[in-house]
Amino acid sequence: MFEEGEHMIESILKRYPKERRFLLAILQDIQRTYNYLPRKALNEVREYLDIPLSSLYSMATFYRALSLKPKGKYVIRVCDGTACHIRGSMNLLEEIKRELSLLPGEITPDGKFSLETVNCLGSCAIAPVMMINERVYGNLKPDMLKEIFSSLGGEENG
Amino acid sequence: MKIKIDGLECEANYGEYILEVAKRNGIHIPTLCHTDALPGQGSCRLCIVEVIEGGKNKVVVSCLYPVTNEIEVLTNSDKIRRMRKNIIRLLAARAPESEHIRKLKEEYKVPEEKRFNVDKGEKCILCGLCVRACEAVGVYAISSVNRGITKKISPPFEEPPEDCIGCGACAQVCPTGAIALKEFEGKRVIWDKTFELVKCSVCGNYFTTREQYEFLKQKYGLEAEEFLCDKCRKKSTAQKLVF
Repeated sequence: MFEEGEHMIESILKRYPKERRFLLAILQDIQRTYNYLPRKALNEVREYLDIPLSSLYSMATFYRALSLKPKGKYVIRVCDGTACHIRGSMNLLEEIKRELSLLPGEITPDGKFSLETVNCLGSCAIAPVMMINERVYGNLKPDMLKEIFSSLGGEENG
Repeated sequence: MKIKIDGLECEANYGEYILEVAKRNGIHIPTLCHTDALPGQGSCRLCIVEVIEGGKNKVVVSCLYPVTNEIEVLTNSDKIRRMRKNIIRLLAARAPESEHIRKLKEEYKVPEEKRFNVDKGEKCILCGLCVRACEAVGVYAISSVNRGITKKISPPFEEPPEDCIGCGACAQVCPTGAIALKEFEGKRVIWDKTFELVKCSVCGNYFTTREQYEFLKQKYGLEAEEFLCDKCRKKSTAQKLVF
């Protein structure tokens, strides 16, 4: 996954001056490009900014938005905040488990979907809510999920 | 300026931390995350004291509270003892295996904790002194990783750290003995990394790792013609001065 776009990392780094304060922005860009932070990329960042690997690792493990393990092409974020929880977010997770054999924190073997729960997406009025990448789905019922996943090419996991 | 600690008149400099003044005057305030080499960590909260200033009472952390007024300090009032007891209770729940915390627990009569499900083997209170010590040496081999309940101190990728020079500063400053450092047969193991120890060329005792010696040589431009341990170096310097 990384090798294909190895030149990408160079172009990400070139966008930023060699200053430590741009570390988070760089890591976010890498995360967006590869869906995770490849170890090789971290080493490149370390050399570019001339900072210790330990501070890089510290930041990479601190933020939920950053991940050291690959995430799927489609990242499913199911809201499990209070409103969504009461309106059945657990049923959504149950349905995702049935449809994609996917548990929170996992990724499908083909790398297409990964699942995580979040504490609140700030859309309680349309609870229960989930996001797939940047798109928000509200007022969900478990039986709506199958169609959503197959529209994204999820039938292969079926 | 003059301040009063537990009724005793003490002389303090402007901006000096209460803990320093108390120490100089022989007044004991319990601490965990304080060392004179790296003061002002302020994370264990054990050194809380009551400050009375302008008729008002407040509770402050003495290792971080600078003296700027003629204040009165109470280091062992009922309120402080009660609060400190709670702090020890929480620290003990976090790191039940630490000998030092167990002693504090006895001293403050903290009851056995039943409410929290804790890792019985844990010694670390996450004060972060080791990380600061490593930074002070200039190595940056360890840092805090993760956050919330999974936060811990670790080298990158939880592997034996590439950058570590085996100086042992982290283990030495650790107030709870949470960092394992083993030495045997001329080797030192720390953070799962094994280092070869070097012998002093005069007394023949192992005294440092090769990596640390090289690091210091590079950083401070030390002369490398002889390996001398602290004691022998002192002796040799003294002799040079005498003759």
